[in-house]
Amino acid sequence: MGGTFLITLREAFEAALLLGVVYTYLDKIGARRHFGWVTLGGALGLAASIVMGVAVAYFSGPLVDLGPDVIAAAVIFLAVILLTWHAWWMQRHARGIRGEVERRIDQARSTQRLWMVGLIAFTGVFREGAETVIFLWGLMAEATSAAGWGSVAAGVAGVASAGLLGWIIFCGGRRLSLGRFFTVTTVLLIFLAAGLFSTGIGRLQSLGVLPMMTPLWDTSWLLSDSSVVGSFLAGLLGYRERPSPLEAAAHVAYLLVVGFVILGGAWRRPHSASAVRAGVSR
Amino acid sequence: MKGLAATLAVPLFAGLALAPVGVQAADQEIPLTLEKNRFDPAEIKVKAGAPFVLVITNKDKSAEEFESKDLKIEKVIAGGKTVKVKVPALKAGTYKFVGEYHEATAQGRIIAE
Repeated sequence: MGGTFLITLREAFEAALLLGVVYTYLDKIGARRHFGWVTLGGALGLAASIVMGVAVAYFSGPLVDLGPDVIAAAVIFLAVILLTWHAWWMQRHARGIRGEVERRIDQARSTQRLWMVGLIAFTGVFREGAETVIFLWGLMAEATSAAGWGSVAAGVAGVASAGLLGWIIFCGGRRLSLGRFFTVTTVLLIFLAAGLFSTGIGRLQSLGVLPMMTPLWDTSWLLSDSSVVGSFLAGLLGYRERPSPLEAAAHVAYLLVVGFVILGGAWRRPHSASAVRAGVSR
Repeated sequence: MKGLAATLAVPLFAGLALAPVGVQAADQEIPLTLEKNRFDPAEIKVKAGAPFVLVITNKDKSAEEFESKDLKIEKVIAGGKTVKVKVPALKAGTYKFVGEYHEATAQGRIIAE
């Protein structure tokens, strides 16, 4: 029963994290009335998960054998692109935020396409959603005894706890100043996207698109991906217990390239900001 | 320089010529059954260097996720369903897999040799 709780908590954690971040983001830029985009994206992600879950549970054949894997890989790369774009966008707008918050935010709202955060919510929920649906469904099919229904309850509680974590992120994020929130979230999203990118590369290896390789290291004895701490680190930082050299390279390359492109400007920011204040430029 | 290009090109073209043959030849299908949250057989021997297809049947009512960190495969199998999983050519070695939802009992390995 405890295992059931952890499985659904683990599956739903990433979705809760992303939903928490994008809701906070909208709250922060004063666009609460656009919460609907995120809710819609999340709801569509849930609907797509259920459709896929039903398809996998009721049908079989080559399409169901391969289809979900191809869709999963596509969703992973779509999520990487969206998160990178969002992180880049936030960092760009974090620069001039101090002092002239209101004007900047208006500008932000008009230039940022808000449906994009909805799409982030969609990919976040859909990525592990179908698995969670099938898992819970299977538990319900098995639930003939009190213990069986206990498992179902534990599974639902796992999803609810993930939701609670998302809520805590939302509440915590709101306390941060706008500039700090943007910076923290940008770094978080870059790590998250790096982990996803390397996962996507791993999927391509298993699909035979990229060559299979022996793992670079094996730290499963030290920290397993499936443990609570391990799975949180996997979701947040992209920790892997047995990465292939390609996965590890993809992770490092993403961090270096995207981290530099997005945060590179941030390091120079203090200089230009003080220059603006001193009236040297403009 | 020309020599290098030729050395690179030969295996490349050889690979292209062989590729369709590899696709046409049906990959070997290896049955794997999941019952009472255990894999049968728990140890599978395959030929190294040849792709194959795992035909996994879940005889339990509950869903299971066939997961192998070594193979980078995660595949959910609903209760009572059969799913085919393509596995690319493996180097000689041992590749562990588990049923993620019942990791304590559902364990197995593929030995490529």
